[in-house]
Amino acid sequence: MLTSMLKKDMLRKKSITATLFIFIFLASVLMASGAKMIVELTQSIQHLFTEAKAPHAVQMHAGALNEAEIEQWARDNELVEHLQIVEMLNVDGSQLFLQEESEKASVMDISFVTQSEQFDYLLNLQSELVQVGEGSIAVPVYYKSQYGLEIGDQVKFDTGRYSATYTISDFVRDAQMNPALVHSKRFVISEQDFEKLTRVIQEREYLIEFRLHDFSMLKAFTTQFQNSALPQQGPFVDYSLFQLLNGLGDGIIAAVIILISIILNLIAILCIRFTMLATMEEDYREIGVMKAIGMTPSMIKRLYMSKYVALALTAAIAGYAASFAVYRLFTQNIALYMGTAPQTALHALVPLVAIALIFGMIVLFSYMVLRRFDRISAVEAIRSGSTGEAGRSKLKMSIHKNKSLSVPLLLAVQDGWQRMKLFRLLFFVFAISAFIVIVPVNFYNTMNSPSFISYMGIGNSDIRIDLRHTSDIKERYAQLLQTVEQDAAVQSHAALVTSQFKIANDEGSYDNLSVETGDLDVFPLEYMEGRAPQTMQEIALSYTNSSELGKSIGDSVVLQVEGQDQSFTISGIYQDITNGGRTAKARFAANEDNILWYVVSLDVRDHSQLDSIMKQYEEQFAPAKVTNLEGYLEQTLGNTVERLQLLVVVGIVIAVFLSLLITALFMKMLIAKDTSEIAILRSIGFSLSNVRVKYLSLMLMILLLAVVIGTICSNTFGEALVGMVMASFGASNIRFVIDPMQAYVWSPLLLFAVVSLTALGSLASIRKTSISRSIAE
Amino acid sequence: MSVILEAKSLSKSVQVNGQQPQPILKDVDLQIKQGEFVTVMGPSGSGKSTLLYNISGMDRATGGEVQFQGKKLTALSEKELSKLRLSSMGFIFQHIHLLKSLNILDNIVLSGFMAKKMPREQVKKRAAELMERVGISSLIDHDITQASGGQLQRVAICRALINSPDILFGDEPTGALNSKSSNDILDILHEINESGTTIMVVTHDSKVAAKSERVLFMVDGSIVAEKHLGKYKRGSDQLSQREQELHTWLTAQGF
Repeated sequence: MLTSMLKKDMLRKKSITATLFIFIFLASVLMASGAKMIVELTQSIQHLFTEAKAPHAVQMHAGALNEAEIEQWARDNELVEHLQIVEMLNVDGSQLFLQEESEKASVMDISFVTQSEQFDYLLNLQSELVQVGEGSIAVPVYYKSQYGLEIGDQVKFDTGRYSATYTISDFVRDAQMNPALVHSKRFVISEQDFEKLTRVIQEREYLIEFRLHDFSMLKAFTTQFQNSALPQQGPFVDYSLFQLLNGLGDGIIAAVIILISIILNLIAILCIRFTMLATMEEDYREIGVMKAIGMTPSMIKRLYMSKYVALALTAAIAGYAASFAVYRLFTQNIALYMGTAPQTALHALVPLVAIALIFGMIVLFSYMVLRRFDRISAVEAIRSGSTGEAGRSKLKMSIHKNKSLSVPLLLAVQDGWQRMKLFRLLFFVFAISAFIVIVPVNFYNTMNSPSFISYMGIGNSDIRIDLRHTSDIKERYAQLLQTVEQDAAVQSHAALVTSQFKIANDEGSYDNLSVETGDLDVFPLEYMEGRAPQTMQEIALSYTNSSELGKSIGDSVVLQVEGQDQSFTISGIYQDITNGGRTAKARFAANEDNILWYVVSLDVRDHSQLDSIMKQYEEQFAPAKVTNLEGYLEQTLGNTVERLQLLVVVGIVIAVFLSLLITALFMKMLIAKDTSEIAILRSIGFSLSNVRVKYLSLMLMILLLAVVIGTICSNTFGEALVGMVMASFGASNIRFVIDPMQAYVWSPLLLFAVVSLTALGSLASIRKTSISRSIAE
Repeated sequence: MSVILEAKSLSKSVQVNGQQPQPILKDVDLQIKQGEFVTVMGPSGSGKSTLLYNISGMDRATGGEVQFQGKKLTALSEKELSKLRLSSMGFIFQHIHLLKSLNILDNIVLSGFMAKKMPREQVKKRAAELMERVGISSLIDHDITQASGGQLQRVAICRALINSPDILFGDEPTGALNSKSSNDILDILHEINESGTTIMVVTHDSKVAAKSERVLFMVDGSIVAEKHLGKYKRGSDQLSQREQELHTWLTAQGF
C-alpha cells in the first residue's frame, strides 16, 4: 500500500518531485566529488612526495658557493640526514623556445638540471624517475597542460651564439616546483648536455637541499640554518610549503565545490519543508480522518516521511554513482600534476560518509517538520480542513485606498505582504543567486582594475623595469640608472632596491626579511594604516609580515644593518600580494651583500611614446623585464584573472540554474495552492493575462527585494569574504571596484529574465484549468 | 422583450481517464429574455450547473452555440470572454468564494477597479450604496472572517453587481444558508430583478424557484419541461400559491 501511495503522490506532483530530486542529486554529486577530490588530492600529494623523496628544507641561492663548507656544516648538524646540492643553469626566457615564440613574456624562472642523485627526484607521468638521453629533454607538466606539448615535440635553446634543439622524451612531476603558483620550473637534460651547457650559461642557481632524521624538528633546523653563515641569497622553503602550494589550487576548488553542495542541500531542505507544509495543508482533512480512525501520529509521520526518505535516498545513491563519472573532471589536474595514488578504501568511504551526511540532514529536517502532526487535533482538522500553517498574515493592505496602481499589481503587493512567510525561501534563494553572480563579477572587476596595483605593494608609474639577480647586476643597474637620468623622455623616476636583512625574532635568533629601500615618495603607495617611512629610523611592513610578526604601527622591530642590531619604528602597514606578501619598505641603505633585485619605475613625458620607450629599454637592458602598469598586472595576475573569469561564468550558471529551479518549483506550488483563488479571479472577469501579471509581478517584486539585499550583502559580506581569502595572500582590506553596469544592470537583468521566462512558462498551465471545476471544488 | 441569452443545441461531454466521452449536456436549446428571472431545477447530476457555466462562457461547450446580446460567445477568445464577464455578467456561488486576502470592501470594489467603467472614488461610492441596499453597510471596514455566511453571500451579491451587469448568474446561491438568510437573499435577488437585471439561477430549492418567472426542469443533460409562473410581486400573498403550483408540477416531473 505504501509503495502505491508513494507512486501516486509522486506522479501527481511530477515537477515538484523532479525539482527536489535534482537539488538533492546535484548536492550529492558535488559533495561526493568534492570529498573524493580531497581524498585524491591528499593521497596523491603524499604519494608524489614519497616517491620523489621531497626535500624537507631547501635554501635557494644565486651566486658563488663553497660546497665543502656546507657539507661540513651538514655533517656537524645532528638533525640532518642527507644533504644534496642541486646545480641549476638559469635560462633567460627569451632564449628558450617551447613553441614558435620564446618564453620571453613568461613570468617563470626557467632552469636546466639533471636528475637528482639521492632525493628530490624528478618523476615522469608514470611516477618513475625521469631518465633522459643525450639530445632529449623532460619538460615540466605545467608546460604540457599550458601548451598541450607532446612527447616528440622539440624544445630549442638559442642564445644567438649557441643553439641546441632537444626532443621531449618525458614530462616532469616536480614535488617542489609543480604548481603554476611556483614561478620556478626545472627542465631535465642529460649529464652530457648539461656539461655542454655549463660552458654556455653563466647564470647559476643552487638548491641546497636537506632531509632531516626527524621532520618534526624542522623549525629548530630552520632557525639553526638561518643563523649560520651559510649562503642564503634567495628564499628558504620547506616541505610544508611545498605541500601547501601543491594542494592550494585544487584544495580551493574542492572547498568551493563542497560549499556549493552545502548550499544546494540547504535549498533542498528548505524546499522539502515548503512542499511538506503545503502537502500537509492540502491533506489536512485526510490527516484528521487518519487520526480519527485511530492511526497514531508516528504512523502518519512514517507515511509522509517515507516519500522524502525514498526521494532523498534515490537521489543520494544516484548522486554517489554519478560522482564516479563526474569527479574525473575535477581531478584531471591532480592526476596530471601529481599522478594517481593507489586506490584505498578511503576513496570510496569518505564520499559515502559525505553522502550519508546529506541524506541524514534531509531526513532529520523532514522529521522536524513532521513534528507538527502531533499538534493536529482530529476534530479540528476534519471541521476546518485548514492548518493555517502557511496562512496569511492578518495585516491586510487596503486596495480601495489606492488611487492609481493597476489591480493585478495591487493584488501582487497584497499577496507578497500577507504571505511573507511563504516567500522566505524564494527570497533567500534569489538573494543567494544575486550574491553568487555579483561577488565574482565585482572581484573580477577589482582585479582587472588598474587600482589593484595598490594591493601589490607598489606605486603607480608608467613603466616599471625589473632587474633580477645576475652576476653583473650591479653594473647593469648603474648603467640603467644613468640612462634613465639622462633620458629626456623621462619625466620622473624612482630607483628601489630590494635586499635581504636579518630581523630579530622572539626566540632570540634571526629570520630573513626582504626590504625595499630607496625613494618612496616619487610613486607613493597607498597605505592600509599609517604612512610611508619618513626618517631613516622608520620602516613600513606588508600586512602579512605585520600580522606574522604581531606588530602594529608604533611598535618597533630590530634589524641587523651593517652587522649591528638597530631598532626601527613601524610607520605604516600596506597590502602586498607579491613575493608571498612578505615585504617591507624603508629609507636606509640596501644590504649590498644580499641584493635580490632592482626596480626602476618611471613616468614618461609623452604617453604616445610609451611603447617605443619600453621597447628601447627592453632592447638595451635585456633580460630586464620592462612592463607598463597593465602589462605588469597582466603578467602577475593574468592566470588568476583568467580563473576568476571562469568563476564568474560558473557563478552565473549556478545562479541561473538555482533561480530557474526555485521559480519553477514555487510557481507550481503556488498555482496548485491558489487554484481556487485563480478561478475566483477569472470568474469575476480577470483575463488569463491579468492573472499572469499578478503572479509575475509577485515573483519580480520578491526578486527585486532579494537582488537589493543580495547586492548589499555582496558589497559588505562579499567584500569581507574576498578580503578573508585575499588576506592569506597579503591583502586583507580589499575594496571592490564596481562596474555599475555589470553589477547593477546586467546581473540583475539576467536574473529578471530567467525568473520572468520561467514564471511565464509555469503560468502557461493555468490556461488548462477549468474555472467551473475549480469553483465547484 | 428581446432575447439576451440564447443557446442552440448546446452540448458538453467530458472524458475521464481516457474513457469514452460522457455527455453532460445534450443539445440544449434555451432562450432567456431581457429582464427575465429564470431558475433551473433538476436532480443531482442532471447538468444544471454545467448548463450555467457553459451558457455563461465560463466553460467551453463541446457543441452548439451561445449568443449573448447578439454576440456569439462560443466564438469569443478567452480575453473577450473575460471582458464580458467583467462588464456585463455577475456571478454568485453556493460556496461564497470571496478572496481571503482582501477585506469586505476590497472584495467588492476589485472588479469595479478592474473594469474601469468609472473612477475609483465612484466605484467605492457605488460599493457603499450596494452594501446599504443589501443591508450590510455596517461591515464596510470589516474583514471577511468577521461576517456570517448570509452576510458574506450579500457581499458576493454586491461584488456581482458592482459593474451593473446585464445578467446575474447564480449557482445554488442559498444552498449553504439557513432559512432566514436564504429568504433575505431571495428578496434581494427579486429586487435586483425588479430593477431590470436578468437573472438565471440553478437551485434545488423550490422556494427560490417559486419567486422566479420561469422554471426549467432538467434530467440527464436535457431540459425536459418548463413552467411559466409569471412575475412575482413582492408583498403579495401569492407566494404560497406559487409554491403549491410548483410543487404539483415538480411532483409530476418525478422530482
